[in-house]
Amino acid sequence: MSERNPADDTATGGRIERERTTGDAVGTTDAETPLLRVEDLWKSYGDEEVLRGVSLEVDRGDVEVLVGPSGSGKSTLLRCLNRLTEVDSGHIYLGETEVTGPDTDPNAVRQQIGMVFQDINLFAHLTARQNITLGLRKVRGQSKTEARRRADSELDRVGLLEQADSYPAQLSGGQKQRVGIARALAMDPEVMLFDEPTSALDPELSNEVLEVMGQLVAEGMTMVVVTHEMRFARGGATGITFLDEGKVIERGPPDRIFDDPERERTARFFQSIRHE
Amino acid sequence: MDFVPVLAETATALPTEEVFLVTDGLLTEEQVADSLGEDWAFVYRNRWYLLGGTVITIALTITSLLLGFLAGFPAGVIEAYGGGYSRAFVRKSGVLLRGTPILVIMIFTFFVLPIGYVLGPVQALLDGIDYLLGPTPFTVPDVGEAFVAATLALGLRSAAYQSQIFRGALGSVDEGQMEAARSIGMSRLEAIRHVIVPQALRRSVPGFQNEFTIVLKDTSIAFAIGLGELLKRSNDLFTQQTTAILEVILFASLLYFVLTFSTNRTLDYVSNYYAVPGESS
Repeated sequence: MSERNPADDTATGGRIERERTTGDAVGTTDAETPLLRVEDLWKSYGDEEVLRGVSLEVDRGDVEVLVGPSGSGKSTLLRCLNRLTEVDSGHIYLGETEVTGPDTDPNAVRQQIGMVFQDINLFAHLTARQNITLGLRKVRGQSKTEARRRADSELDRVGLLEQADSYPAQLSGGQKQRVGIARALAMDPEVMLFDEPTSALDPELSNEVLEVMGQLVAEGMTMVVVTHEMRFARGGATGITFLDEGKVIERGPPDRIFDDPERERTARFFQSIRHE
Repeated sequence: MDFVPVLAETATALPTEEVFLVTDGLLTEEQVADSLGEDWAFVYRNRWYLLGGTVITIALTITSLLLGFLAGFPAGVIEAYGGGYSRAFVRKSGVLLRGTPILVIMIFTFFVLPIGYVLGPVQALLDGIDYLLGPTPFTVPDVGEAFVAATLALGLRSAAYQSQIFRGALGSVDEGQMEAARSIGMSRLEAIRHVIVPQALRRSVPGFQNEFTIVLKDTSIAFAIGLGELLKRSNDLFTQQTTAILEVILFASLLYFVLTFSTNRTLDYVSNYYAVPGESS
């Protein structure tokens, strides 16, 4: 599964070709400002400090992969980005909007930030199509036909149009996760967050999810991804952020972080996962 | 077309006794007395009195479960999601109601509560229904204060139990469902309404089924406050003819059994009908 030889790029399927979007996409005012900006985030659960001053910048069209050992705070960081977890201090900006602002409506900001979960969390009582239309109808206030058309186009995008009327319990793990991605995409998010999207899936099912993610990378979607899939990190990421003990240890392009990390802790981490 | 005259022939050829069995009023008490004895004839003579009691039993079950649901469902939601005083209040009233025998509650609602004040509006409502539907069992003279008191007692006690059914069902829905709903921009209330409650209601059917049976059987407690439901009317009968206790009680038991069995089967059907495909119900 994981990469054996860091020099052997072709074995991983190579880089995913991507069309980089420029600053004139909807919602941006300035090509220079990063789409997502995280400043000095702190978060603790009781006595345990999970995030200790994390800062991060993600430009439009970037694919930032967060890696690190378990307990390093990467999932918490991701959950803070759409305020599923409230931060103790620090600021998060999405474009001009301060996500963490006291007057910011989290429900409005969450529509801009799609999220894909490790345990998928499809609405169990709804069909694949209804999973997607629910948000469009109740949050966006779209008409039934409008929502249905959008849902079907998103299902088609992830290759599951034929399963539109299936319930989650009738789908495979990989199919469920693809519906999960479609559900998030239907809200037209500026950025997509992936919280270990393939961790609950076996390698075969992981691949179909990674394919869909690769397709999003190629379409130029801005993504922040927590994953242990080093193939995806190497092939799809524009940047790797290595976290440990609630801090960003090192950040850089995949090739450098994988092959020539500056910090000893980063090197040790990649060394250990190579010998898994 | 050959079979038509054949059918007509068999109909006329039917033995007269069989026709009497299926056609009410044609089976005479003498016939019952001859074949089953005098005490069964007594039950047969009073069948409409007992069936009238059964109607009251059914009516009381429905009003009690309705009150139980209307109070119990919000109480369950408050216990699962509410905070502060509302939750504490709901919890404590639940503990109180669940910790008090139903007979005690019913005697309280009948003898202590000023039930007359409740009865006025209820009677007005029933009169309204009467006006729309014509006569209903609610207008039977011995239904009134006792019926309202019994509904209050059974309904509030049922609410205390139903709140636990719904609280448990709401709590059993995975937290990830709420997070997923919030992640696409739904408010907490929207998420509860569109994602959590539809799943929780499906899961609460077995518990509700149990509660339905319990309330139906416990309507017999209203005997204690003199409400003319099935057991009270059975008692009226066998105190009149004490040799017929076995026959009267067997007949009443049969009626209770038919009621619980058929409602359980109906709820099984409802449960299967609304089950999410692919999930075990």
